[in-house]
Amino acid sequence: MKYAKLIFKNILRNKRRTLLTISSLVVSLFLIISLATILTEFDRGTEEASPLRLVSRHAVSLGFVIPMAHLQKMKTVPGVKEAMPFSWFGGIWKDERNFFANFAVDARKMRDVIPEIKMSDADWQAFINDRQGAIVGAKLVKLYGFTPGQRITLKSPIYNQSVEFIIRGVYTGSDEKTLYFQYDYLNELLPAWAKDNVSTFSIVTNSAEDVPRVGQAIDSIFANSDAPTKTESEREFALSFQTMMGGVKTFLYAIMAAITFSLLLVMGNTMAMTVRERTKEVGTLKAIGFQRGTITALFLGEALVVASIGAGIGIGAAALLFRLVDVSIVIPNLLAFVPTNQTLAMAFGLSILVGFVSVVYSAYRVSGLTIAEALRSTE
Amino acid sequence: MALPIKYNIRNIIVRKGSTLATAFTIGLTVAVFLMVMALARGIDMTLSSSGEPLNMIVLREGSTAELNSSVTRENFNDLMFLDGVEREADKPLASGELVTLIYKARKGMSQGSNVTVRGVGPMSFKLRSGFQTVAGRLFQPGLTEAVVSKRIAERFQGLDIGDKFRIQTTDYTVVGLFDSAGKAFESEIWVDINSLASTTKRDGYSSVLMRVKDPNTLASLSKRITDDPKLHLKAVSERTFYEDQQGTASGALKYLAGFITFIMSVGAGFAGMNTMYAAVARRTKEIGTLRVLGFGRLSILIAFLLESIAIAVIGAVIGIVLALPLNFVSTGTSNWVTFSEIAFNFKVTPDLMALALLFGAIIGFIGSLLPSIRASRFKIVDALRA
Repeated sequence: MKYAKLIFKNILRNKRRTLLTISSLVVSLFLIISLATILTEFDRGTEEASPLRLVSRHAVSLGFVIPMAHLQKMKTVPGVKEAMPFSWFGGIWKDERNFFANFAVDARKMRDVIPEIKMSDADWQAFINDRQGAIVGAKLVKLYGFTPGQRITLKSPIYNQSVEFIIRGVYTGSDEKTLYFQYDYLNELLPAWAKDNVSTFSIVTNSAEDVPRVGQAIDSIFANSDAPTKTESEREFALSFQTMMGGVKTFLYAIMAAITFSLLLVMGNTMAMTVRERTKEVGTLKAIGFQRGTITALFLGEALVVASIGAGIGIGAAALLFRLVDVSIVIPNLLAFVPTNQTLAMAFGLSILVGFVSVVYSAYRVSGLTIAEALRSTE
Repeated sequence: MALPIKYNIRNIIVRKGSTLATAFTIGLTVAVFLMVMALARGIDMTLSSSGEPLNMIVLREGSTAELNSSVTRENFNDLMFLDGVEREADKPLASGELVTLIYKARKGMSQGSNVTVRGVGPMSFKLRSGFQTVAGRLFQPGLTEAVVSKRIAERFQGLDIGDKFRIQTTDYTVVGLFDSAGKAFESEIWVDINSLASTTKRDGYSSVLMRVKDPNTLASLSKRITDDPKLHLKAVSERTFYEDQQGTASGALKYLAGFITFIMSVGAGFAGMNTMYAAVARRTKEIGTLRVLGFGRLSILIAFLLESIAIAVIGAVIGIVLALPLNFVSTGTSNWVTFSEIAFNFKVTPDLMALALLFGAIIGFIGSLLPSIRASRFKIVDALRA
């Protein structure tokens, strides 16, 4: 610790350089954290999936519908606590740019099937009592200013149908960017070819152990029907959406690697300049008895302090900004945008590593010069 | 105005370590920029090259994709014989097609994505250029056989020649692989329209594709079909149809490219500034000497700017070289309009490369502006004494 003062003096010696290096660290770390957060947010759907729920859809693909009549048979499977339609409507409000998910559900069953959706009892009652009712997530309210009582019309290209809903409540809970409405109401309005069908059912079981068995039991009931089903845990279902993203993940990792490497070059170049300029001083230090190890450690300490300051500001800025401003509101497909603690820790580790690698070689080389060589340096 | 160009060039060469480190930093920024842009460009080119200029696609009113569209047989018969539809050997060049999806696992993964299956008739091949069977043979009409795009067969399990896959309750056998010069239908599986209609129990079509006589007819005919209150159909040029699909995916990528490259170039700019400040400080005496030799302040300013821009351009070239191999990478993602797989190549095109060079030069310029101004302001006496 007795060298702390020396390290700090050295850092402050070329203030502009230190400032530029730190700024470079800050922006790079901010970018890395943003990209890593996109990755962790992709996974959120999988992580927040309920261990008690299953999703049942047409065995071939989501592009096909299954008959509503399946529901009664599903409910007879032992272990099933409750089930309801959870049907993608794909409705667009005013303009295609206003994209938000909307599903037809059974308002009376919803609280039992998706208990993580929180709303006041009065709102639940209002939703259940109004066939035309709909409820919206808190983030949608923030984005579009929906208010209870407001009438909104969604036009679905799938059904080629416009439907008017009346907002009856605002819910909070994991996914706050969705609108739910009553299946029965929609079904009445649909043309004959689309009536009495749903895209998916949501099923809740009594215990997590029941889930695989229930899935198989349901699928075997419909295996030989016109509309065979594929019933899987909500987690697996979310995962299948994720793999639809294909190469996007690898792509983001590649970008993050490139940023890290360029950060290493920036830091390495700066530290090499710093060390080289002080060659003569190293000679002086050695002449008054400093060992090679101590001199290397001084340089290392300097780089690590700079890296830590940069990391601290970059991480702090990212954490603060993304908590104050919820970016997910404007990014379709992402439910939230909050850097995880692991991401922040990873960013810190990364910058310490960069700090270490950037200086270790040049510091070791310079401190290995003989006193005469070092003092003779023209840098 | 005289410029000490030789002096600057020698400096770049003599300080090769520092030059390379700075150039590489800018190079990586440029490479990332190119990578994201090449991906967006790949999607754009796949989709926009897919439509034939004189082709028109007819969908149900309100549909955004073929999957959620339907056109009845009666509609098809009416459309086929409309004025303005191109004919070949007295048969109208029009094809009713049926589209469905199957879910297949990706190679090496348990999860996968939806792949589009298209039921086609003889006219479908005439309406699309570039289709070519590269292995095996074409399916036989009436049989449950399929040809799979080579790119899809490479990326998904169980779609090679001889494999069977299931559509609803019917098994189809893969008998051939095809290639189509990078168009959107290269992400598809093709089967006989009549087989697919009986498999999916659908009477009618998803969409109708037809060739019109000339561009003016395309506009007037599509308006006529779309405006007909009895038909409930909409007709658009095939080009527009595919271009609308690319909007979401490549638009989002371009935003991402903008965000990432802006931040990375700020970082690279800081790094460049650092290097140039150090260079100016170290060369104070030399600058003094140049001034004594008669080079003016402006000469010094421009010389240092040029030196930095040269380093940045070297960096941009490095970045381009790093990004070029991407041209050989093919990847895929889901199309969020159709929920199905779309395969495409990264495209590092000449205009993107030119943009990358310009972008590198701008980073070099901004990074060196302040240090160069500083260099040009030294007083000769002070500089020489440093």
